[in-house]
Amino acid sequence: MTTIDCCTELSGMSRRGLLKGGITAAGVGMATSLFGGTFLQASYGATRKAGNVLVLLSLRGAADGLSLVVPHADPAYYAARPRIAIPKASLLARNDTFGLHPKLAPLLPMWQAGKIAAVHATGLPAPNRSHFSAMEELEDADPGSAARVGWINRLIGQDDYRHPLQAIGMGMSVPITALYGPQPTVTAASVDAISLAGDDQWDTADRRRRSMQTMWAGAGGAMGSGARSALSTIADFQPVAKSSKTPANGADYPSDDLGQALRAAARIIRSNVGTDVIAVDHDGGWDMHTDLGTLDWGRMVDASSQLASGLAAFFQDLGSLGDKVTVVTISEFGRRVKENANYGLDHGHGNVMFLLGAGVKGGYYGSMPSLTNSLDADLPVTTDYRSVLSEVVTKRLGASTAAVFPGFAPESVGAINV
Amino acid sequence: MTVLQISPRTATKKKKKKKKAKKVAKTYPATKVLDARALLVVNRFTGGWTPGLGAEVTRSGGIDKWFAKQLSPASLPDTFYDSSATWWSSNLAPALTTIARHYAGTENVWEANAHYQAWSMIRRIGSERQVLETMANFWEHHFHVPTDGGQTGAYRQEYGRLIRRLALGKFDELLNAVSTDPAMGAFLGNATSTKSAPNENQGRELLELHTVGREAGYTEDDVKSSARILTGWRVDLWNTWVAAYNPAAHWTGPVKVLGFSHANTSSDGRAVTKAYLDYLARHPSTARRLARKLAVHFVSDAPSNGLVEHLASVYLANDTAIAPVLKALVASAEFKASAGKKTRTPEEDVIATYRALGVKITRPTTDEAAANAILWQANQIGMTPFGWPRPDGRPDVASAWTSVSRMLSSFEVHYTMSGGWWPDKGASYKKPSGWLPKASLRFDALVDHLSRSILGRPSTPFLLKVASQATGIPAAATITAKHDLVRWQMPRLLTVFLDNPLHIGR
Repeated sequence: MTTIDCCTELSGMSRRGLLKGGITAAGVGMATSLFGGTFLQASYGATRKAGNVLVLLSLRGAADGLSLVVPHADPAYYAARPRIAIPKASLLARNDTFGLHPKLAPLLPMWQAGKIAAVHATGLPAPNRSHFSAMEELEDADPGSAARVGWINRLIGQDDYRHPLQAIGMGMSVPITALYGPQPTVTAASVDAISLAGDDQWDTADRRRRSMQTMWAGAGGAMGSGARSALSTIADFQPVAKSSKTPANGADYPSDDLGQALRAAARIIRSNVGTDVIAVDHDGGWDMHTDLGTLDWGRMVDASSQLASGLAAFFQDLGSLGDKVTVVTISEFGRRVKENANYGLDHGHGNVMFLLGAGVKGGYYGSMPSLTNSLDADLPVTTDYRSVLSEVVTKRLGASTAAVFPGFAPESVGAINV
Repeated sequence: MTVLQISPRTATKKKKKKKKAKKVAKTYPATKVLDARALLVVNRFTGGWTPGLGAEVTRSGGIDKWFAKQLSPASLPDTFYDSSATWWSSNLAPALTTIARHYAGTENVWEANAHYQAWSMIRRIGSERQVLETMANFWEHHFHVPTDGGQTGAYRQEYGRLIRRLALGKFDELLNAVSTDPAMGAFLGNATSTKSAPNENQGRELLELHTVGREAGYTEDDVKSSARILTGWRVDLWNTWVAAYNPAAHWTGPVKVLGFSHANTSSDGRAVTKAYLDYLARHPSTARRLARKLAVHFVSDAPSNGLVEHLASVYLANDTAIAPVLKALVASAEFKASAGKKTRTPEEDVIATYRALGVKITRPTTDEAAANAILWQANQIGMTPFGWPRPDGRPDVASAWTSVSRMLSSFEVHYTMSGGWWPDKGASYKKPSGWLPKASLRFDALVDHLSRSILGRPSTPFLLKVASQATGIPAAATITAKHDLVRWQMPRLLTVFLDNPLHIGR
C-alpha cells in the first residue's frame, strides 16, 4: 500500500469563479456554434491570455506500466517475468515499493525536485481489452451518455470563452475523442500547417481569403465547420507561427514525432494565445505483444527513452513558464503481469499515470495490489483514472468534476497541490 | 446537392437582378458531363472524375453497363497496373527477394514499403480497372497492415497484391488468404505465437476488426480459443524469413468461439483454421459489420440500419460474394440521395486532384519525382495510405478528416498543384492556356468549362461569384491567352474548383 493524502477536490471551485470573471472581461466572441448542424460562425473574438495549461499525453497502444514504474518489492513481478523483468538494482528513484525504468533517467532531476508523481494501478473501472473501444471509453469519459463528446471538450465548455485555440491537438491530423464535441477546437499536424496557401503579399486585394470565406460560409457538415474553423483560426494563431522555432534554455528535443509535438506545444504556450489544453499523442509502439525486450534490447527501452527525453526537453524549453504547465500521461489500459513466449505482454488492465510539472506533489501514489503470477493476471485497478484527471482539472483549471466527468464521484489521490 | 446552400441574401439579390436586363451567364456545354447519378457512381467508385472517364462511361452505354463491366475486371485491360508496377523494383518481387535486397543494401524494406504506398496511389490515378482498385484499397484498409518496414516489410507488397486479386471475389476466400498471410501474422504477432503461450493479438483483432465486431458479444475465452486456432502459421522473422505452417507450434484440444466449436485434435491445424474462418465469414455479425463498413465508405458516414440490414442479407444470400453487395448498394435509394455526403481522405484528395488537373505522371527517376512525392502530399494532408499506426485502419468519416490542418493542408496541396510548382519532376501539367477550350471566350463560359472539366458538373451562379471574387474578373470579361488570368492568375482560378466542398467531398 502506498496511498497518500486526502484533500478537498472541490477546492478549485472558488478558483474557477475567479478565472471565469477574468475570461468574461477579456471579451467573448460571437459564439453561435450549433454542433452537427449548420455552424455559420466565421470569426471569433480576440484570444485571451492563457492561465494554467494542461498537456494531455496519450501513450497509444497500451503502455506497460509495470515496466515504467516497477513494483520491485513484489516477488510475483519477477516470477511472472523471468526474461523481461527489470532488476531491482537498475531501477531509478527507488523506494520500498517502486522504482523507475532506467530509461526514464532524463526525468530524474525533475523527479528529485519533487515535480513528478506516478499514480499506479489506475485505469477504467472495468477491463476493456480492445484498444479502440477502450480509448473511446476513456476519452469520452461519460458512460451514461450516448453522445460522443470528449472530456476535454466538456472541460473547455465550462467557461464563457469560446475560441478554437482554447484546446489544441498538436502533432496529429485526426482529432482525438477527448477533443471531440460541440466546442470548436484545433487539431494540426504542425505549427506550419496553420496558414492559407495563396494568402500572400501578391494578393493585395485580399481576394484569396475573402473568396474562401464566401465559398465555405454555407457549407454543411463537418467539412463546412472544419473549413470555417481553419479560416478563422489563422490570424489568431500568428503569434505561434511567428514565434522562434529554436527551443529556449538549450533544450534539445528528440527528432521523433513526440519530441516535435512537444516542441510545438511549447511554442503555443510561450505565444500565449489563450490555450488551456494541448493534447499530444505518443504512438511509440507501446502495443508490445512481441519484443518488449530487456534493458539491452527491444521496444520498451526505445519507447521509454523517447517519452523521457521528449518530456525533459519540454520542461527545459519552458523554463519558468513551466510553473503553469501540468502534463498528464494516460494509456488506454495496461498489460498482463506475465510475459508471453515472444518477450512481450498481452492486453491487461491497470496502468500507471504520470503527472509532471506545475502543482504536482512528487512521489509515488496509488494503492498497489499484490500481483498474481498466472496466465491471465492483470494489475487490478484501484484508482479510477478519472480521479487522477479530476484532481488536475479542478485544482489547476478550476473546472468542476461533475461537469467534466458526469456522474462520477472522484476519490482523493493527493498528487496535486491546491 | 446538399453542400451549397443559397443564403437569404443571395436570394434577395436575385430578385433585384430580374428587373435589369437578363444577365444569364454564358455556359460551355460543349464540354460534356454525365448525369448526377452517374457522376455520383464515378465519384464513389473511382479515383475521381475526368472528362476521359466520362467519355468511357458514355461509350460503355451508360453508367450501369460501365459499372457491371468494372465489376468483372478480368474483361478489362490491366496495362497501367502492369506497367506502373515496374516503376519501382520491389513491387512485384517475392518477399524473399525483397528481404535479400534489404540485406544486400540495395533497397531496405522501409523504402520498399514506401514505394508500394506510392504505387497504390498511382494505380488509382491511372488504372483501367478503377472499381477494382477502389475495392482493393477498401479491403487493404479493412485488413490493415501498416507499411512501416520492420517485420512486416518484406511481405507487405505481396500482401497488397494478394488483396487486389481477391478484392471483387468472395469474402470467405479473402479472409482465409489474409488471415494466414505472413504479413498479417508478422504484424499481429501470430507469426511467432506458440502453443505454450499463444499470442492473443491476431485472435482478438480477427474478431473485433476483421469479422464479427465487439457487438457479437464474444468473451475473453473466445479470444483465447481464437488465438489457439491460429497457432502454427509461423514466419521465421529476422532469420530466414521463411513462412511455413509448423504443426509443432499448433495448440491442440477443443476450441470454441461464439457458435463455432471443434475438437482440434490434429497438430496440423490448417483445417480447423479454414473451418473457423469460413464460419466467421458467414456469421450474421460479420455480414452486418461489412455491410456497414461498405455503406460508410460508399454512401454516408451514418448509413441507415435498413440499408445495412439489406446489404447484409444480400451478402449472406450470395455466400459472401462481394460484387452483388456493391450492386445492391448502388441500386439503393439511400445511395442515390447521398451526393456530397462523403469527405475524401487525404490520399483520396491527392489522387482526385491529379486526375482533376489532368497531370500526367511518368516513371520516377528521383525521390522528388511526382510518383514518389505523391506520398509526401498525402502525408502533408494528414495520412499516407496504410500509414495509420494502429490495427483498426485509418478512419473513413468526415469528423476525422476535417481538422484545421487537414483543410488548410488540402488547400496548400491544391494551390501548389494548380500552379504546377510542385512536384515539378516526373509530371506534366497543362499549361495555363491549355485550360482555354477556345481562343477567346467570356469568363463565365470559362468557369463553366472548368467546372465541367474539373468537377464533372456545370457551373453555378455561386461558383461564378467565388471565381470572380478570387480573381477580380467579372463574368463578362473576355479571356484570351493574353489576358492576365492566363498569364498570371490561372492557379488562383483553378484552386477555386479544388478547394471546394465538391472536390474535398465526393
